[in-house]
Amino acid sequence: MPSDSLLQVAVLVIFTVNALLLMALVILKVIHRRRMHDHDARRKSYLGLLSRCLSFPNNTEPITEAIAEDPAFLDALIDMRNAISGDEVSTLHRIVNRHGVIERQRRHLDSSWLLGRRLRAAVALAELGDELSADTLMAHLDDREPEIRIQCARGLGRIRWTPAIDEIVSRFKEEIPWVRVRFSDTLLGFGTKATWPLLAYVKINHRFDHRGPALALRTIAQVQDDQAVGPLLELLDERLHLEVELATIETLGELGSPEALPPLEQRLRASRWEIRAKAASSLGGLGDPSAIPHLVEAMRDESWWVRRSAAGAIARLPDGVAALYQSLDDEDPYAADAAAEALIDVGELVSARRRADQGGSRHEPLLAHMRGKGNS
Amino acid sequence: MSEKKRILVADDSETIRALLQTALESAGYEVDVAKDGLSAYELGSAGGYDLIILDQLMPGLLGLDVITRWHEEGMDVPVLMLTGVDDDRTAVESFDRGAVDFVRKPFRITELMARIKMQT
Repeated sequence: MPSDSLLQVAVLVIFTVNALLLMALVILKVIHRRRMHDHDARRKSYLGLLSRCLSFPNNTEPITEAIAEDPAFLDALIDMRNAISGDEVSTLHRIVNRHGVIERQRRHLDSSWLLGRRLRAAVALAELGDELSADTLMAHLDDREPEIRIQCARGLGRIRWTPAIDEIVSRFKEEIPWVRVRFSDTLLGFGTKATWPLLAYVKINHRFDHRGPALALRTIAQVQDDQAVGPLLELLDERLHLEVELATIETLGELGSPEALPPLEQRLRASRWEIRAKAASSLGGLGDPSAIPHLVEAMRDESWWVRRSAAGAIARLPDGVAALYQSLDDEDPYAADAAAEALIDVGELVSARRRADQGGSRHEPLLAHMRGKGNS
Repeated sequence: MSEKKRILVADDSETIRALLQTALESAGYEVDVAKDGLSAYELGSAGGYDLIILDQLMPGLLGLDVITRWHEEGMDVPVLMLTGVDDDRTAVESFDRGAVDFVRKPFRITELMARIKMQT
């Protein structure tokens, strides 16, 4: 029947096309593997070449244009850049510049229409960390591709190009959240040089935006610069968005300055539980046992979260564990529970059970409290 | 004629191996390389090295474990730890287990070569 033979032909065609496609796929895979293998072999030989150039500055082995343009040479340069430090980095940069490597990558980043090539160029410039690429990296902080913006910021951080700090910080507001977080990581590379630009950004922008300033504050916390304490305390006097206030309190706790003690204690009486809880946990970071009576009071707060934060903070302070044991007898059962939970968190229950047979240990009140809860 | 000093370079990074092998051979050393902890242990145990340059984070066996084994077996060979692990504990443990020197990555080749020269 004609329809049967038509069906047979169709099946045959589909089978043949599939077989051809499969064969093409296998061939492509073999070619790709061979290319990767060749690339790897060339990279190895370039590593040897670069090693000789670095070990003998008068080495006269030629680096031809073909080598300088080879992606495997670029990979070898990046590997070598990450292995060495000091004077040898300058020697490597001289090799890079002599052979136009940076210029070539800048060109790719500026004008290639292939995303893969542009991204590779951005990564290469970031990894090589040569000052010659600073202008290009700055220009591409506004690139349409988020990953390229991230790589450019990373490269500027690697070069420690200080004019980039303001440029990166100023993009906190508009950037998409995950790029903003990566920008913040980059700023950490600048260390304390980033503190004032970040503070200025928070000061100017906290009335119009809260996400950017909150991230800027958390970046300051990680930079660990004591100079930020004064301006942060001034900031607390202003009317702040909840997120910004929480980040400020958290940052003060991370910086651990004793000047922050009075304003944080004051915030244990704030109307919002989030602020009371954050103030309690930040007081734990200050390391000053004079905060303990205030935190014991906070363990009687109506909010479970505040009680837990206060108890956790007490546990971190000198003499805090003894204070928590005392609080097991608190007339407020919620405060006693918070104290018991904090003691368990710092491993006191494990110690208590281990020593239960010995009797008369300081852990007895905790065991008694747990028995009262039916958990012993 | 004096015999060449022998050095074993154990590092999983191909870049470090290539760099050190080139620099050391050009300085007149005979160099063997190992790319994981186990082969470093086996080559080192076979003996005959004037210095072993050992990375900490290698597949198979960690650098510290390799030195501990040699230490337990009474093998007496100077070991220079070359590592990207940036904490003082690793440095202290390395010296505790018998390392003679500790260099952090990334490193300066000239400084490393000077330290190697001092040990050989």
